[in-house]
Amino acid sequence: MRSNLPRWKPALVAVAVIAAGSVAAGVSFAAPAQKEVRVAIMTDCKGAFGFGYELDIGGAQAAFAQYAGGKPKSKTKPSAGMTGIKVGNTPVKIVGYGCGDDTPATALKETRRLMDQLKADVMVGPLSGDEAVAIANWAKTHPTKTVIIGTAASQDPTMQIAPKNLFRYFGDGAQWNAGIGEIVYKRLGWRTAAIIMDDYSFAWTSGAGIIADFCAIGGKIVKRVFPPLNTTDYSSYVRQLPPPDQVDGYFWVVGGTGTGPALKAFEQAYGPLKASQHAGNLFLYFLSGFQDVAPRLIGSYMGGFGTAPGLKTKQARAYEAVIKKWYPSLPPGDGFVYNYYNAAWALVLGLQKSGGKVGAALQAAMPRELRPGYQVSNGGVLRLDSRRQAIQDQYPLQIVKGADGKPTVVITGFVPNVDQTFGGTFAPNKPAPGRTFPPCVKKKLPWQGKIRVVKNGVITTQFIK
Amino acid sequence: MSRALAGGAALQRALGLPGSPKTTLERSVGLVVLTVLAAAPLVFNDFWIGTVLTQTFIFGIAASSLIFLSAYGGMISLAQTALMGIAGYIVGNLVTERIPGGETKGLTLGLDPTVALVLAIVITTAIGLIFGAVSARSFGIYFLMLTLTYGVIAYYFFSQVTQFGGFSPIAGINQDKYMPPFIGDVLGHPEKLFYLSLGVALAVYAAIRYVVRTPFGLALQGIRDDPVRMASLGYYVGLHRALAFGFAAFLASLAGVLYVWWQGQIAPGNVYLAATIDLLVMAVIGGLRRIEGAFVGAFAFIVIDTYVRDVKFPGAEVTGQLPFVGGSFNTVIGVIFLLIVVVSPDGLMGIWDRVSRLLFGRGGRAASRPSTETHEPAPRASS
Repeated sequence: MRSNLPRWKPALVAVAVIAAGSVAAGVSFAAPAQKEVRVAIMTDCKGAFGFGYELDIGGAQAAFAQYAGGKPKSKTKPSAGMTGIKVGNTPVKIVGYGCGDDTPATALKETRRLMDQLKADVMVGPLSGDEAVAIANWAKTHPTKTVIIGTAASQDPTMQIAPKNLFRYFGDGAQWNAGIGEIVYKRLGWRTAAIIMDDYSFAWTSGAGIIADFCAIGGKIVKRVFPPLNTTDYSSYVRQLPPPDQVDGYFWVVGGTGTGPALKAFEQAYGPLKASQHAGNLFLYFLSGFQDVAPRLIGSYMGGFGTAPGLKTKQARAYEAVIKKWYPSLPPGDGFVYNYYNAAWALVLGLQKSGGKVGAALQAAMPRELRPGYQVSNGGVLRLDSRRQAIQDQYPLQIVKGADGKPTVVITGFVPNVDQTFGGTFAPNKPAPGRTFPPCVKKKLPWQGKIRVVKNGVITTQFIK
Repeated sequence: MSRALAGGAALQRALGLPGSPKTTLERSVGLVVLTVLAAAPLVFNDFWIGTVLTQTFIFGIAASSLIFLSAYGGMISLAQTALMGIAGYIVGNLVTERIPGGETKGLTLGLDPTVALVLAIVITTAIGLIFGAVSARSFGIYFLMLTLTYGVIAYYFFSQVTQFGGFSPIAGINQDKYMPPFIGDVLGHPEKLFYLSLGVALAVYAAIRYVVRTPFGLALQGIRDDPVRMASLGYYVGLHRALAFGFAAFLASLAGVLYVWWQGQIAPGNVYLAATIDLLVMAVIGGLRRIEGAFVGAFAFIVIDTYVRDVKFPGAEVTGQLPFVGGSFNTVIGVIFLLIVVVSPDGLMGIWDRVSRLLFGRGGRAASRPSTETHEPAPRASS
């Protein structure tokens, strides 16, 4: 059958369609003229750390509200947005929230969306370790953009990669665990231990801190086990651990949604948990599944999050009051809230100094010192090192029975001024933490023998013995 | 315009091409699209050049390898993303170097980028041939499951064997020093990669059109339609299917190399199940019957995925919650894809076929259309 349309009509239709498409693409999606500082907040809304979404956004926006006049659209749901942010005469616009899933591929996709499509000048984030590795590498090739890491704590971004436009105002995962090895060595008498850690950058970094600290004081790591991130059945991995009668203790660095299942798998393999035989990093308390096994972990020690919930200092109380003022439902002592808050606060200070300029001017103006809530050393001042990485006080924690009978955590120690090199264990020209690095080596760490006891939120003059 | 069309029709006659009104219109659209793309830097902004369109070509190439297998071989493969990732991982492992400030993940062999490029394509094609040989005797759901297995193996291999990268990305792959000299700096000049991807996409399109008209391609289509009969006629069914899979792996390897040059990084997430499904969705919403569907589907997927989440829905500004679906933009994206497939099982190209039938009647329909049906042969056909 022949068409009734004249021969020229199809071509006309085609031209019209393409022209309309081109105009739409070229005009509608064109970048707006820059009259403001455009900020993106990159976090996770999916995957093992998807629960951190509102915590991260809330932390960052609380700082914008406190120091730059931002007005939250909702006090219970930070992701509803914020308006009215202004630093000096420069308006600041939050152009979007990144939705990661703890994988580097998605993080990079979201980064491109936020920074290229939505034309953000500055990113606050990301949340997770390998995301930060990917974004640090991206930042290296985009020197005019500025990245202030949210709460991702892998070592590489500020040690091996260390682009000049990337900043981190908290300790990495290894720094967070400073002191934990010495505490279990001295208080629990551990001499040998096995470690089980997620098989990705943050856990390697976090585990590296535990290994370095425990081995430095004289302990031996007899086994390292690496379940993949997002594992749900840990039975085969806990079976690779030596049984409880062959080792003094276990370090757990299994996080996200895996902490509970991993500990349960251990109980199924070796019987009920004995608190004095288990320690770990922050995952041991903060993440899901804890309530099932928590009662049997009362007394266990764990590394911190760079935070000190319950610390009784003026600076800490002032910080906690700020969070409660803007987002009453957010826990100020949570590292997601705290680290994003400090990152956004540093950005405001940087913009104040740069006069609202971004790019190299902002990077030069970013503060090298900050007074975050839980910093005590140096008169409460946190400093960045030459690679723009924080030298931060750390607070090992202990799981205890709370007033309501339920498990809770308290600060048990104070480790001052922990730097990223961990007493020379790590360096830019050394491998990044991994399955085999660092090796187990006895050595002197700067804080060895100087960890102060914390009682009822007060740092005492006593040292951990 | 009518002169131009008349000229086009004359050219068609001279080349012996069929010239139904629909075909003429499609070729006109193609020419206009190519013209616009050739002048893209004048038409589109940097984000569209460097991200939307370049990505469209890269994933379009990968999706076209999937559609080639599906439309002309009757094989729906879930291994194309894995093959794409393998090529990317080979480039990443071979070109990067372990130097201060350099890459810390992977083999970091520091090989010549051109050598790495050739090795990536050759090795991926060889792996594709092996994959194809192993699965050549499987049909239907069994073939699908086998190819899914390849994807899962690739994911766990790259995320667990830390020597090849582990869970972290191998990064910095598209730095100037790691690019073949005949391509040069793609970071400073993203339009280079745009034009390169466009050129490769055109070459892939032409190659598939050519291959399906060769005796091999015709035999492959015969095997798609009736493998038992083709076997009884003396054709080696398994070999044809394995070679087709190898060819598709070659195409996927091109997409993989372009991807790491574009993204600069490769990580297990790039070969994870979600990425596999994404590629399948691109092919399905474009339409599994025609190669053009690969690029149309990739374009639609990328545009929807990029822009839907930033659309402000009335009433959702304060709570951030959309009616019925909560705050999840992924749900919205999923619903859009679902609607496309429900409205047209043959995807966007199917919608176009229907529209063209309305415009031109059945005379405008293409003379022959490949099938996407997979046929279960009699057991002896595979022997």
